[in-house]
Amino acid sequence: MKLQGARLILVLLLIISGFEALSQDCKLVIRGKVIHLENNQTIPGAYIWIEEVKAGAVTDDSGNFIFRNLCPGDYTIKIQFLGHKDIIEEVTLTNSSFNKTFRMEELPTELGGVEVHGHRDAIQTTTAVNALYGSELLEARGENLGESLKRIAGVTTFSTGNTIAKPVIHGLHSNRIMILNNGIRLEGQQWGAEHAPEIDPFLAEEISVIKGAETVRFGPEAMGGVIMVNPGELPTEKKNKTDLYLVGGTNGRMGNLSLSHTGGSEKVKGLGYRVQGSVKRAGNVRSPEYFQGNTGMSEINFSGATGYSNSKLGTELYYSYFNTELGILRDAHTGNLSDLEEIIANGRPFTNPDFTHTINNPKQVVQHHLAKLKTHYHLNSKWKANLQYGFQLNQRQEYDRRRGDLNERASLDLELFTNTLDLFVDHTHENALSGTWGINIIQQANSNVPGTGVTPLIPNYDMLNAGLYLIEKYSKGPLELEGGLRYDYRMISTARFIGSELQESDLQYNNFTAFFGTYYQITPQLAFRSNLGSAWRPPNVNELFSQGLHHGAAAVEIGDADLDSEKSLKWVNSLEFEGNKSTGELTFYANQIRDYIYLNPTGETFVSLRGTFNVYEYLQANAFFWGVDFSGSYELTSKLQAYAKGSIIRARNTETDEFFPFIPSDRMDWGLSYQLATGTKTHHFNLSNMLVARQKREPVFDLAPAPPAYALFNVGYRYELPFQGNRLNIGLQVQNLFNTEFKEYMNRFRYFTADMGRNLLIKINYQF
Amino acid sequence: MKNLQKLPLYLLFVGLFAFASCESEDPVIENEGEVITDVTLAFTELDESGNPVGSAFEFTAADPEGIEVGGAPTIETVELEAGKTYRMEIEVFNSIENEDITEEILEEADEHQFYFLGSAFVGGASAPLSYTYDDASGELIGLRGTVTVSASPGLNNAQMRVVLRHDLDKSFPGADNPNFENFVQAGGESDLDITFPLILN
Repeated sequence: MKLQGARLILVLLLIISGFEALSQDCKLVIRGKVIHLENNQTIPGAYIWIEEVKAGAVTDDSGNFIFRNLCPGDYTIKIQFLGHKDIIEEVTLTNSSFNKTFRMEELPTELGGVEVHGHRDAIQTTTAVNALYGSELLEARGENLGESLKRIAGVTTFSTGNTIAKPVIHGLHSNRIMILNNGIRLEGQQWGAEHAPEIDPFLAEEISVIKGAETVRFGPEAMGGVIMVNPGELPTEKKNKTDLYLVGGTNGRMGNLSLSHTGGSEKVKGLGYRVQGSVKRAGNVRSPEYFQGNTGMSEINFSGATGYSNSKLGTELYYSYFNTELGILRDAHTGNLSDLEEIIANGRPFTNPDFTHTINNPKQVVQHHLAKLKTHYHLNSKWKANLQYGFQLNQRQEYDRRRGDLNERASLDLELFTNTLDLFVDHTHENALSGTWGINIIQQANSNVPGTGVTPLIPNYDMLNAGLYLIEKYSKGPLELEGGLRYDYRMISTARFIGSELQESDLQYNNFTAFFGTYYQITPQLAFRSNLGSAWRPPNVNELFSQGLHHGAAAVEIGDADLDSEKSLKWVNSLEFEGNKSTGELTFYANQIRDYIYLNPTGETFVSLRGTFNVYEYLQANAFFWGVDFSGSYELTSKLQAYAKGSIIRARNTETDEFFPFIPSDRMDWGLSYQLATGTKTHHFNLSNMLVARQKREPVFDLAPAPPAYALFNVGYRYELPFQGNRLNIGLQVQNLFNTEFKEYMNRFRYFTADMGRNLLIKINYQF
Repeated sequence: MKNLQKLPLYLLFVGLFAFASCESEDPVIENEGEVITDVTLAFTELDESGNPVGSAFEFTAADPEGIEVGGAPTIETVELEAGKTYRMEIEVFNSIENEDITEEILEEADEHQFYFLGSAFVGGASAPLSYTYDDASGELIGLRGTVTVSASPGLNNAQMRVVLRHDLDKSFPGADNPNFENFVQAGGESDLDITFPLILN
């Protein structure tokens, strides 16, 4: 696991030369961190010179530098970085060491030879940020967002079959976490367990996960964490790059192609663009013993961006389009409770279909448009004003097996418009303070498209959310302190017909949230982070107003319009270690949630001509979640590396002292990787073993007991070589090497089928 | 560059416009197109040569609210006479949409089939009723069939379970048996699952 933010690669790049260990008194240290004044992004590769000892150092990837074994006395620190104003600071060391964060100011662009850098802002947080990028992201290409994120310790998935996977952070998912598509909060129909995030992972150059409660920064619902899907920076000078990805998989005969091109204008300095698109097609998934009927999928995605920046102003226009058609396992769609019980008792689908790419009903067809305009203006060297506007349209159609002409009509047809507006100012100062103050407005309109021939599951509604926030951060050398406050007000008005009776309601919610975080670099190898944050989530429209049959699930769900907002307090602590041969990270968290909303089986059944159905109701109770994530690696030799990562989660209803359903069981992944470099070519080999325990903490009621523990083996090979002056990567992976039959507790289709069997993947990436 | 510097202002206007113009649609009454509210079993007595005797008599199961949360269905008790043979025709109706679903089932005969279960049909020699498909098209659907009541039934009251399967594999081994207890193995889902009480006179 690699870390962003204060990335732990704290390798001393330049050890003070010609400096002999001296007397007892000469053990003082000068430490610092160098960042951009403008956006707090760290500056790796800045040069630091101390005249008095004639010694130099270069900042590491996290912008850190250190000089050791200094005697008391006066020192002159000089910091230089291309295109930035030099910093010269006089320091007197007496008997304590010196720490400081240095903010470098950019020079005006009129000066020749100065580079205008891109404007992707660094996320200012003291909470642990884990990111997927580079070779790790390369290996995850071809997987959906949820599957890709499983590579981060503490992140699992809540899935529906093998094509729908929702990310779970520390046991929370759906509306309790937030996904940002290039900075805009993704607003789809995330309330549904079978509604996957509407985003193409190929548009990302980096996918980051913040594991803390981040409601203050991002608004309500970010209780469990935030996932940021970030495209790369747009070029600001003439530069062209094209990335081609080809992925093929044997299971489901999956094919996936993605092409992206970024370029910068020669004529207009600071103007850049990117276009990216991907297509994906897969057929019936194969479990070790059988095909899962109607589990194919197809996806067509596109995104484009253009941006302009100069020393004062930066503007970016971005659009992304996501379109998917997903088949739902035919056998999982049951008519009534006895159908459901029969298939669960059978433990596998009744049908034995052949392979096909054809997608029939039941299926989902989802389209998501997202447009973003972001602009910032430097009022002066310390203050920056920002405006970000996002428009989203989400169209979701779900088709069931129905009689006659109705089979051609969606039985759920939703159209969701979302506008988001952010206005905020950032300030940074040479002294140790920086911060953000802003307002955030979210407006949403959800409509059921008429003509489904089914009473809508959720009403039409309009929602307006206004938030006001303030975040301040104090940095001094290895210490960072951060705190924030936010107030939100939300208004929802709903309308629908129950029979021929119009039912309307207006609801209001409001809440204060606050957080406090700290980061401390204990030694150059060891850092500690701690974040205590409150968060809230107003109840969702489905939790308030569901009333009726959840088609296919043989369940009648009943909402409660009197539900209160969920309020949580999450405390995350992490210890990060980076040695010469080993790295490690240990995260411990506790999350107290008041009025946690959950779907509770009433134990009653509802009888109709169609048969019997279980009745579920939305209830609230206090909940307590805690857990541990760990990851680490050790270099056995210069070529051979061992690694391990895993997570443990405990969740309890503290009122009834019972367990909640669908909480990930204990799991770990460990393995070996071997690298063989010959000249400019590198061979990477990888062997990993994934161990997943049985979920022994089961809720009182479940349709079937938790499946047994399982172990899977995966192998991978990647060949990296220069090819006609460009870069070529050829990868070969085998997932579930021994074609083990298993069921994952977090997969809702464990009731009906075994999980995916062996899958052989070939992944080609060509950069030119 | 002067124009670009006013961009934030323009964007603000665009943003405000988009906010004001976006509201949800008024809700529309959605008629339940697929719900079955009435299932009628029509019995006509047959003589030894298979000709109808007298007029038909009906037993109905009704659930006017359909499948939504509401009252339980009302199911009439079927009364038949020992030793007699009947033609049984099933009519399926959606009273919400005023739509005859029997027609739709006939149109999709290859995807639908009725099964007759419960103690009335299943249980070997003790089962008082026996059923044979007799659909007009010759295809096994169960909209029309022949019910024979045992001359000396071991039970004088029993449960008559009527199941309509949709989207099943009709060629699945055993699926041609009207009393196929493992009908789920042929795939598909249940559109109807009603248990009529039966009294034999």
